[in-house]
Amino acid sequence: MRYDRIRTGLIMVLRMLLRRRIAIILLIVIPVVFLTVVEFTTSTRTLPFRLASLDEEVFIETSEKNISFVFFALASAGFLVSFLALNLIQKNNNVNRRLVICGYHPNEILISSLASLFLMILLIAIFVGILTNAFFNLEHLPMFIFGLVLIGVVYGCYGLAVGSLVKGELEGILFIVLLVNIDAGWLQNPLFYAEAQNKLIIRYLPAYFPSQAAIISAFTDYSAGTAIWNSLLYGCTFLLLSMFIFFRKMRIRK
Amino acid sequence: MEPGSLKGIVGENGAGKTTLMKIIVGRWKADKGKIKVNGKIGYCPQKVLLFSHLTVDENFRYFSAAYGIGKKNFLINRDALMEQFNFKAFRKEKFENLSGGTQQKLNLSIALLHQPDLLVLDEPYNGFDWDTYLRFWDYTGTLRKRGCTILIVTHLVTEKERFDTIYNLENGYLT
Repeated sequence: MRYDRIRTGLIMVLRMLLRRRIAIILLIVIPVVFLTVVEFTTSTRTLPFRLASLDEEVFIETSEKNISFVFFALASAGFLVSFLALNLIQKNNNVNRRLVICGYHPNEILISSLASLFLMILLIAIFVGILTNAFFNLEHLPMFIFGLVLIGVVYGCYGLAVGSLVKGELEGILFIVLLVNIDAGWLQNPLFYAEAQNKLIIRYLPAYFPSQAAIISAFTDYSAGTAIWNSLLYGCTFLLLSMFIFFRKMRIRK
Repeated sequence: MEPGSLKGIVGENGAGKTTLMKIIVGRWKADKGKIKVNGKIGYCPQKVLLFSHLTVDENFRYFSAAYGIGKKNFLINRDALMEQFNFKAFRKEKFENLSGGTQQKLNLSIALLHQPDLLVLDEPYNGFDWDTYLRFWDYTGTLRKRGCTILIVTHLVTEKERFDTIYNLENGYLT
């Protein structure tokens, strides 16, 4: 593996991303729309709920509006990063293969794509975190942003795996919508989760631990350590899976 | 294939010409047999495969990193190729804004950037205008003098005298 190839790849991938102006505008507009809809449609009544990863005695009391802000911030970050990762890999699959024929190692391409994706995750997480904080005061903003980074890593790697595996754009998008919508966009909502049946299923979905970490940081002073470690574990699993699939798809016989 | 030779492979649509090219460059695995390659391969695929959101120059730079050629050689080769195929004016233009013919010129130039020993071209002059077509043949002469072997796959050979040998691919056999 050569550092100069990874650096060139990173620069080129970032240039390609930043030149898609409509996509960049949507990255900014979508979280604003999500949170504005929450502002205008949710009530301010206080709702007590219990978080699965905290002690059974611990109840959080906050308004429906506030919990919706946090939940939709997480869902929008997960959605955006997942789509971005899918697009990053899928659009250039054939050209990347030509790069491999010309001398790039598949891992050099993947590392430059991952580095670009991670930079975008950071930017999205910081933007969504600050935006959420503008709507209501989060208890621990940096940790909340870290929670958004975690959901970005988990769903980013999922997007990479889908992008490497699925050829069609529509099929890829549907794969993303299917999981992200059910998981981050629905089941991880603590208000739904509190009364849900078969919680074990929800606990094993990708957005569970990042959501727990972000919600704990947003509303309490409790430690989110376990949720963070489990998120990282989930992220690493998806990362290894996506690397394996990408490598298999890109390898050539010399 | 002897150094400096120019071979052609023809065959009907679906005969397996592109499949054979992909096997030669290592993209696909052959069912049986082995391919032995001495030296660097330059591959120009039938379908133009380049980054649409990058400029002509950025595409050159990205592929030069893949080939691992030094900056000095890169600049000399890039300029010579843009001069040869007459598209220097589009250096800063994004690939997606280029005409089909200019995209094809870039596609071919990328395959030539590292001065390969074996040049594998899959329908290379699709979309070329007459002037570029002549420039292409002119350049193959230069390459051959340098010892570069050229393999051209096409469904239609109009000027047989330009080739040393022309093979016909039929039912999985070259005749």
